[in-house]
Amino acid sequence: MDLDEDDFVFFGTPIEREEEITSRKKKAVAEASGQLRTLPVWKQEVTDEEGRRRFHGAFTGGFSAGYYNTVGSKEGWTPQKFVSSRKNRAEVKQQSILNFLDEDERADLEGQSLGTSMQFDTFGFTAAELARKQAEKEQQQRPSAIPGPVPDELVLPATESIGVKLLLKMGWRHGHSIKDSRPSSLYDARREARKAFLAFSSDDAKAQLAESESVQGNLESITEQPTNDDVQSHQNTPVYVRNPKQDLHGLGFDPYKHAPEFREKKRSRMSGKRETGNRKADSAKDNLFGFKSGNVAPGFGIGALEEFDAEDEDVYAAGFDFVDTYVQEVEEPSKLMTDSKPKLLAKETGVLPGFRVASNSDYQLERFDPPVIPKDFVPCHKFPGPLETNYRLADPPPPEVPPPEDNNLKLLIEGVATLVARCGKLYEDLSKEKNQSNPLFNFLTGGNGHDYYTRKLWEEQQKRTDQSRQQVDVKQSSSMRKMTAESRGKILGERPLERSIKDLSSSVASAEGIQLQFNLSDTFTEPASSSGLHEAVKPFKDDPAKQERFERFLKEKYQGGLRSTDSSGSSNMSEASRARERLDFEAAAEAIQKGQWGKESKHFSATGGMQFTSGGVEQAKGTEAEDLITKKMFPKREEYQWRPAPVLCKRFDLIDPYMGKPAPAPRMRSKIDTLIFTSDSAKETKVEETIIANRDFSMLQSDVQGISQDVAIKENEVEVEVENVERPVDLYKAIFSDDSDDEGETTSLNKVENPEKKIEAATTTLNRLIAGDFLESLGKELGLEVPPDLPQSTNMAKTPASQKEAANTNVGDSNILPVKNNPSSTVFSETLNHEVPHNRKIAIESRSDKNEVIHGKLAKSVGIYMETGSTENNLDKVDLEKRVHEDSKAKTPSSRRKNWNSNSSSEDERSRKQSKRHRHRSGDSDSDSSSDHRDRYRSRSKGRKKESSREKSGSSRRHSKHHKHRSRDSPGRSRNDSDREHREAKREKRRKRD
Amino acid sequence: MSELEVPGKEANVLKGHEGAVLAARFNSDGNYCLSCGKDRTIRLWNPHRGIHIKTYKSHAREVRDVHVTPDNSKLCSCGGDRQIFYWDVSTGRVIRKFRGHDGETNCLLLLVDLYSTGLDLGDSHLVNAVKFNEYSSVVVSAGYDQSLRAWDCRSHSTEPIQVIDSFSDSVMSVCLTKSEIIGGSVDGTVRTFDIRIGREISDDLGQPVNCISMSNDGNCILASCLDSTLRLLDRTSGELLQEYKGHTCKSYKLDCCLTNTDAHVTGGSEDGFIYFWDLVDASVVSSFRAHSSVVTSVSYHPKDSCMITASVDGTIRVWKT
Repeated sequence: MDLDEDDFVFFGTPIEREEEITSRKKKAVAEASGQLRTLPVWKQEVTDEEGRRRFHGAFTGGFSAGYYNTVGSKEGWTPQKFVSSRKNRAEVKQQSILNFLDEDERADLEGQSLGTSMQFDTFGFTAAELARKQAEKEQQQRPSAIPGPVPDELVLPATESIGVKLLLKMGWRHGHSIKDSRPSSLYDARREARKAFLAFSSDDAKAQLAESESVQGNLESITEQPTNDDVQSHQNTPVYVRNPKQDLHGLGFDPYKHAPEFREKKRSRMSGKRETGNRKADSAKDNLFGFKSGNVAPGFGIGALEEFDAEDEDVYAAGFDFVDTYVQEVEEPSKLMTDSKPKLLAKETGVLPGFRVASNSDYQLERFDPPVIPKDFVPCHKFPGPLETNYRLADPPPPEVPPPEDNNLKLLIEGVATLVARCGKLYEDLSKEKNQSNPLFNFLTGGNGHDYYTRKLWEEQQKRTDQSRQQVDVKQSSSMRKMTAESRGKILGERPLERSIKDLSSSVASAEGIQLQFNLSDTFTEPASSSGLHEAVKPFKDDPAKQERFERFLKEKYQGGLRSTDSSGSSNMSEASRARERLDFEAAAEAIQKGQWGKESKHFSATGGMQFTSGGVEQAKGTEAEDLITKKMFPKREEYQWRPAPVLCKRFDLIDPYMGKPAPAPRMRSKIDTLIFTSDSAKETKVEETIIANRDFSMLQSDVQGISQDVAIKENEVEVEVENVERPVDLYKAIFSDDSDDEGETTSLNKVENPEKKIEAATTTLNRLIAGDFLESLGKELGLEVPPDLPQSTNMAKTPASQKEAANTNVGDSNILPVKNNPSSTVFSETLNHEVPHNRKIAIESRSDKNEVIHGKLAKSVGIYMETGSTENNLDKVDLEKRVHEDSKAKTPSSRRKNWNSNSSSEDERSRKQSKRHRHRSGDSDSDSSSDHRDRYRSRSKGRKKESSREKSGSSRRHSKHHKHRSRDSPGRSRNDSDREHREAKREKRRKRD
Repeated sequence: MSELEVPGKEANVLKGHEGAVLAARFNSDGNYCLSCGKDRTIRLWNPHRGIHIKTYKSHAREVRDVHVTPDNSKLCSCGGDRQIFYWDVSTGRVIRKFRGHDGETNCLLLLVDLYSTGLDLGDSHLVNAVKFNEYSSVVVSAGYDQSLRAWDCRSHSTEPIQVIDSFSDSVMSVCLTKSEIIGGSVDGTVRTFDIRIGREISDDLGQPVNCISMSNDGNCILASCLDSTLRLLDRTSGELLQEYKGHTCKSYKLDCCLTNTDAHVTGGSEDGFIYFWDLVDASVVSSFRAHSSVVTSVSYHPKDSCMITASVDGTIRVWKT
């Protein structure tokens, strides 16, 4: 009814691409915004493939120029060349289907249209064929007297022969005699003249004429024809219409021959009876009979002066019909109605018109009674399997035959025998057939080992029948007598089956016996399990291995006989656990005896389980408890913040509770989550620390490690609460691009870096120790008071790289430390190798480098450094000056980084790097000695910079790490500042002195 | 006495759906009812006269829920095709299709067999329930993608104006009050989102919630859980007021509701029975076999003692006292 064009039925899930989705979305939006299709053309917006509004250029139409929704083409609207119509008239272009076809389609069409052309169709066969097809098509719509398709041979549609065609070409028309057409033209002229004459003569006549013309236009010719005899004589070939015979009268008999009014009556009655669905037929009939009856055609209405007679009711009947159908069209055709309608129609159409469905027919269905089922018939198929085996058992057993020498063959034979015994003779036949060519299977067909095979087969079959017999026994007893296995056992004084099996199997060979035993126990206990015995015997069913051992234990206990001391399961158990298990088993066996089979087995198994299985019981208890808890616990109410969208509030006609408040931060998953997360990470780092510590600090004492770890953990704990403040990382990145380059270039080194980060915690403490030592010594040297308890060392604000160096530091290598006097430089001087001389060299170089820079910048401060620094450096520095300077310029971050990771690389570069750092620092400290504040800010910013770089490099790391660094940062910074203050103060003093 | 109040007489059978009927709903005044089902159609009936009035076809997959505005002018429906259809009742045209509920889902498929009415696991886009708000300006839908989504009917946008994704499993049912959105989910929670105060209240029932329905006084919520229990919750305190048992509801989405007087609780069962419990003492007042198969949906007339039930057997039955 309302078929939306967009709705297709899709099968499967289409793989959607991003762009498709977006474009579709856009389309959807466009459609939703006022249904594009319904908009007038000039209001529609033209969009291109991406959904953008199309702009054609200011001079070519702006936003709404041609092609998409107006005239034109892709190339634009091109005016046709002017052709003067004065001389050569514009030809009317004849369009054919070929104009609209593609090349390939055209080729297809042309290739296929093979057939006689109409030109050569002398006898009109092809035309006849076509006409027949046409008629068949029409047949569908046209009702006919004979229901169903009319046989082709019976009704041949009239076709025009070539003669008729020729005549037609010459101007002949159907219904006209073959005559010159000129008189007709003459007649036309005359008619015109007469019309004019009539108009001229009288007004009345004219009015009458007009009326008659308008109302009965087609009758005009008839009324006028009598005036002209010539014309009438032309129409001497009547068009022959075959009327379908619809009555029951004999051929050619017309009962209304002399009473046409009755015919009319009958017809109207018929049409009244007809359903609306057949209205077409009625109208067709109207046309057929229209001329003869002279009835007023429906739809013309009745004039005021005309008589209102019975015939006119037809008009209204038709009108009523129309209304009726209208109603039906509007109303949704309900299921009920459609159900009833076809029945009605079927009733009508299934019967030939004029026939009636007979109320009673002679034809009677002959019915046959179903066969009588014999009273003793049991609707259950019995398989002759056991019977067969029984029958076979009657045969004398084949003689015992020694197995063939070939072990493989023996195994094969045994295997086949068991299979055959299990699956029946069919399997034997099958394998015989399959392995005809295989020499290994000769024993099947009577070759080598056949005797052994038959013997084996017999044995197996015997075994199986034993089993099945027992099985049948059990089944019978349990099903027929409704007796449990235990009760039967009690009555008969039997032992449980497994033990009896043992007896049985003891006579058989050992390896086989086990197999058999398992088979038997399986087959036997299965039916028993339904009664609960199976469960009862298995108090350790949670642990199958244990259960197995328990069963063995039981056997041993109650039966004696052969004891397998080296039980496979318990062999790998410790002595203690075996003892414990044995105790368990004893208790279980006792319990089983006590609560012997008479008791409700299920109950027993439950209690037994409680007693003897440790894990399972607790679990069961746990679940029960849980159930209780859940009952108590639920429903559990929790409340969260939730921010409704402003639009939603508006639509619900409520005031937004969060109006004017900033958008909330994305909702935390839950606090617990983050806590778990951090603790996890802390744990991880701890573990990693230890690992790395073991690897890297092998030379370190273990107590140092311990301290460092402890401290690290503590720090982690503290840092959980530290608020994460977003820092404009990118800014720093932009400024100090060398740091970012580091990570960009050395992706492979990041792996190495990560462990570095992880050992930072350890390093810090280490550094603290070193720094503490150092500062003390420094303080002594400078004659300053060093705060005895420094929270953290200066290198807190350092890059991880420097920290790694620090990590590599030999603790005992303290001889370098005194060399350094500038607190900020301590960090870098710690870049120590294990080789002392080298270290020494670096230290010297770094010193010199620093001094050089200072020289270049501020001569004043040189003195300070000279004083504090070692004297050798001063001597060397002039020589080194230039080289170092250049090197520091040429230095690339990547090389530097590589150095960090490979300790064995040249010392020069390291020193160069250090020099750069020093320059920075010195610049900081020296540039603005007066304003402490700014200095501090700088150092902080530097710290941040380092921090940022670290963040970048370790972007993949977890969050908590950042916390760690940051928190470690701050005390370090403060330390730095205090140090600097000290220095500054000192420097000022000296200046004054100078 | 109470026996008399409960409808138990079959007044009409509405046949027409081919395949399971998944939901049947009275309109706001109870004169008409809507049904939808696996045959991808929505049908409008006059249940009192047993007449089928109109069929709405446009869905490409099964239709799981339908709701009509209080003024009977618009419909919304949802189903397997991740869209919410917004219909004009009289013309039967789709005014808008809200595309959504296509979020990536990785929820535990607790309700695997809940969709055993013929759904495969790949169907992560289905929308389980829709409701109009009081002003019929917003459609709220509950989806398999663990979210509730609110759609604006007034604007032309097809994007949701609000996505509530605090559920941790498929949201099965949704109820709206004047200021709250209530959703019931398979994760066992019934969450109330109060727009007025901006709070989310989560009531964890511990069992997957199939369907929730409000009492007529608006103080209680009846939640149908998958452990074959209906639970009545006090909305203000979150207390469990009563549990109603006796029916089977283990794997299908079965509706439940309160009668028009709030005196009884009613719900379908997977064995084709309908159960009526006394609201207060939770005793089964009446139960009878209504359908040959699972009763998927029940809906109670807002004023009279009349109920419609829909079933997998493809019929909708009208019950009166």
